[in-house]
Amino acid sequence: MRQIIVKRLAMLVLVLFGVTLTTFLLTHVIPGDPARMMVGQRASEETLQEVRRQLGLDQPVWVQYFAYMGGLVKGDFGNSIRTQQPVIDDLVKFFPATLELALAAFFIALVIGIPLGILAAVKKDTGWDHTSRFFSIAGISTPVFWSGLVGILVFYKILGLLPSSGRIDLTVPPPDTITGLYLLDSLLTGNWTAFANSLWHLILPACTLAFAQLATVTRQVRASMLEVLSQDYIRTALANGIHGPVLLFRYALRNALIPTITVVGLSFGSLLGGAVVTETIFSWPGMGKYVVDSIAFLDFPAIMGFTFLISLGYVLINLIVDLTYYALDPQIKE
Amino acid sequence: MSSTTTNPNNLSTVAAARMANPFWHRIRRNPLTLFGLFLLLLIVLMSVFAPWISPYDPTKIDIAGRFAPPSAEHWFGTDEVGRDIFTRILYGARLSLGVGVAVVVCAGLIGTVIGAISGYFGGKPDQVIMRLMDIVLAFPALVLAMAIAATLGPNLQNAMIAIAIIKIPVYVRLARAEALALREKLYVKAAVTFGIKPWRIIARHIVPNAISPVIIQVTLDIGDAILLVATLGFLGLGAQPPTPEWGAMISIGWKHLLDYWWYPTFPGLALFLASCGFNLVGDGIRDILDPRENRA
Repeated sequence: MRQIIVKRLAMLVLVLFGVTLTTFLLTHVIPGDPARMMVGQRASEETLQEVRRQLGLDQPVWVQYFAYMGGLVKGDFGNSIRTQQPVIDDLVKFFPATLELALAAFFIALVIGIPLGILAAVKKDTGWDHTSRFFSIAGISTPVFWSGLVGILVFYKILGLLPSSGRIDLTVPPPDTITGLYLLDSLLTGNWTAFANSLWHLILPACTLAFAQLATVTRQVRASMLEVLSQDYIRTALANGIHGPVLLFRYALRNALIPTITVVGLSFGSLLGGAVVTETIFSWPGMGKYVVDSIAFLDFPAIMGFTFLISLGYVLINLIVDLTYYALDPQIKE
Repeated sequence: MSSTTTNPNNLSTVAAARMANPFWHRIRRNPLTLFGLFLLLLIVLMSVFAPWISPYDPTKIDIAGRFAPPSAEHWFGTDEVGRDIFTRILYGARLSLGVGVAVVVCAGLIGTVIGAISGYFGGKPDQVIMRLMDIVLAFPALVLAMAIAATLGPNLQNAMIAIAIIKIPVYVRLARAEALALREKLYVKAAVTFGIKPWRIIARHIVPNAISPVIIQVTLDIGDAILLVATLGFLGLGAQPPTPEWGAMISIGWKHLLDYWWYPTFPGLALFLASCGFNLVGDGIRDILDPRENRA
């Protein structure tokens, strides 16, 4: 077990090195002239040279890389061209909104996806199974931006049930900041008006984002449940008169959940990607909307800061997922 | 195959048909796969015969007829400069489907060759290649595609390159795993003994035999690639207006959603149906070709 963790951590260092190298190549090497790209076509030659010097572009590439790495370690991603603020400050400001949205979507996907997957496995090759398969495939086939638009059309425009944008009404003061997650903060401070209002705003974007993940969860739970249900020990349990919920939940599901964790954990990464689009559609003030707004300005420090931070999060989640996997699987422990 | 164990004397016509063409028989038994095939065929035929189906020009501007709601004249309504949305969707299908297929096929080919080389030779080059692939996989796909497309410059060609780059590692891994197993096969070892050059062994023995899992993955990936192309288009990093690309159409249309709902809704529906078609067919083919998944 310890060996595995050490090996996994060594891999982590290697991958992080690769991630920084990639973002470095994307910002400093691939663009013909990053300084020109930053100052725009109309800037004078002097400004260009000045920016080039400031960015260290007159230095050899490997010096630039170490300077870049040094900056990253200190959390210095440079200044955003659009907001003129340090990128790290912007990202820290927008991070809680993204986290709240992603967690809510993840929660919804699990709560609906796991039972659906079990149902599809238990009722294999019946109408239930086909329906669940159809919905899973519909889920992965639906562009997130389109399900968001249809959601706004139906639940905001036609039914008038849910708001179409923002985290909270302008008339409702946001809760005092503790974690930055409105739902949690309003709960902790006992601010029920803010709680209800932010929950109301969260429903549509979170369901939109969850819909795309639902398919992954359902398919994986179904596949692992079928695998487990065909094992000898399940047949033995059945022969011993164990059946129904006890067999399903105590004997089958616990084992089926081990491979599920890997897939579901990895899907959290695509959830972060999907958040970019969802936040744009719902004007959700998170990192995704921030980066899309930055794209319009070709604001590279902002785009790469976001890419680096999200990938860092993704790599760490993968690490946690792997370690959980080892911890849960007794065969590996031995 | 159950048909192989059936007593030949009792063969029904169904079983006979199954033995004649087991692949088609199994597709026919799966209504969802059939439905997917039907969807794809419909979309492809409609886009091919677009000039005969619609009397409108996909790029012709008619300011007087802007934002016309769906009607008998304009089935899906018109956009902000009076272009017929149905026509633009038909012509856009050529682009969206073509680009999706092209990207995945390219990524599949490049990935297979790299994976086959990596797996066949093994050693240091293999280690380096696989770590490089791990790095690409360390990024969430859409985020890396966005970063690459933004760096290369926002246009359709660069969006295609970005998506191909994020798709390649999966194929490298698949082909490498196959190559690792294949290089131990007797016929490959025999070829080595006869002094046949490695590149010839890779081209003649490794790649052709490693291709079947790659094909399954390609069919599963096309739907996703179509969505990615459209997503980059939606974010302003893919095809640029006035190109009738579905993602680019939605990118402009969604700002008009609350007043002119048809504008982003129909291109989105087309995108959904196309991606759904590919995913249903891909899923069906995987069920048939991959016995492991079958058992599950």
